[in-house]
Amino acid sequence: MAERKATLQDDLKRLEELVRQLEAQDLDLDQAIALFEEGVTRLRTAREQLGAVEQRVQKVLEQAGGELKLADLDP
Amino acid sequence: MTDLFAPSEASSALSVAEVNRIAKRLIEGELGPVWVHGEVSGLKSYASGHWYFTLKDAEAQIRCVMWKTYNAKVGSVPPDGTQVYCFGTPTVWEEKGEFRLNATKLLLLDQLGQQALELERVRQLLAKEGLFDPARKRPLPPFVQTIAVVTSLDGAALRDVITVARARWPSIRIVAIGTKVQGAEAEADVVAALGRLARLDGIDVCIVGRGGGSKEDLDVFNKESVCRALAALKVPTISAVGHETDISLTDLVADVRAATPSAAAELAVPDRRQWVARTAELSTRLARALGRRGQVARERLFRSADRLQGALQGHLRDRRTTLERVAVQLDALSPLKVLGRGFAVAQGTDGKVLKSVAQLQKEMKFTLRVADGSVDAKVV
Repeated sequence: MAERKATLQDDLKRLEELVRQLEAQDLDLDQAIALFEEGVTRLRTAREQLGAVEQRVQKVLEQAGGELKLADLDP
Repeated sequence: MTDLFAPSEASSALSVAEVNRIAKRLIEGELGPVWVHGEVSGLKSYASGHWYFTLKDAEAQIRCVMWKTYNAKVGSVPPDGTQVYCFGTPTVWEEKGEFRLNATKLLLLDQLGQQALELERVRQLLAKEGLFDPARKRPLPPFVQTIAVVTSLDGAALRDVITVARARWPSIRIVAIGTKVQGAEAEADVVAALGRLARLDGIDVCIVGRGGGSKEDLDVFNKESVCRALAALKVPTISAVGHETDISLTDLVADVRAATPSAAAELAVPDRRQWVARTAELSTRLARALGRRGQVARERLFRSADRLQGALQGHLRDRRTTLERVAVQLDALSPLKVLGRGFAVAQGTDGKVLKSVAQLQKEMKFTLRVADGSVDAKVV
């Protein structure tokens, strides 16, 4: 879960950088194409995350030993 | 309607039940529910759970009944002499012909006073320690994936948070940490729930609160221990207690105060539509930027080609002119031209021009170049 964290935010932040660099137009065409390709990859992962499905609500249970457990909350 | 105050005649006599019914209707219709201030006396709690007591002041008294469902919220049985504010409907108990107050709320003045004093004590203490300091407030993360909610699992607050959060971001993960939010055990329970929250990983933001209720119902969110447990949390916190007008001490301690649990969910959870729009905008800009970049490259290429061609042509022109000039000069200097005038050049077999008699020995072979060719010759 840690890896999934904030990737959408990171993707969009990076995308913004890429677009700004591309818009500045002071790079050669090879560089521009490389940036564009990275941008397309970031866009794809961002879109995947935006379309993610609904998740269950969980509740926290404390066990006898003090250990915490997550269980689905009954709807 | 029978006029109670009209001169009566025996023939128009009412039954007892009729009198009481009319009296009940008049009293209820005229007075409605009212707040009554007085002192509790002779309270009896019956096996049924209903309370019967008298409210009195220096001049008068009124019989009161408070049904079990209502008195359950009062807590302990108020002893004789307790000053109270009682909310209820004055009515007539028809069967007994008794005038009385049907009480639905009972606020004990001592308790109220104590509560107010305690609230003030905690407020001053926490303020002095800087727990309300604006500099302590952390910003809420702009993008979250998991929110925790500390509230009653059966309460409206949790339902509201789930509804609003999912509408804004369907894939939001919600972790509910159940706790009692009112009554004697609520304080310890909320503190324990906040403690559990502190031990969970991967929570981006947490909402602590409950739906609306009476002042007493919301009191747990004014408790010192609850405020301290909230302040100790590492994740950003939103306090959402009761309705818009209710302000509790947790509201002051939390990083953000929300008017209601629904409002808290709105603050905590990003709006998917905004992110979709932002992504779409970036997508358009990305494509446009590359398109423009390509166009610029193309234009630059064409411009370069034009310049190159121009430069090349200029260069060629220059070279041609030079060539022609050199050719003329060359032509003028050409030894062939000299030979054309009847001179001849003697060259050794090694091709060297023989310029002196000393270079010509007897019997030596050499070549003699004239205008239209050369002949082999020999010194005699």
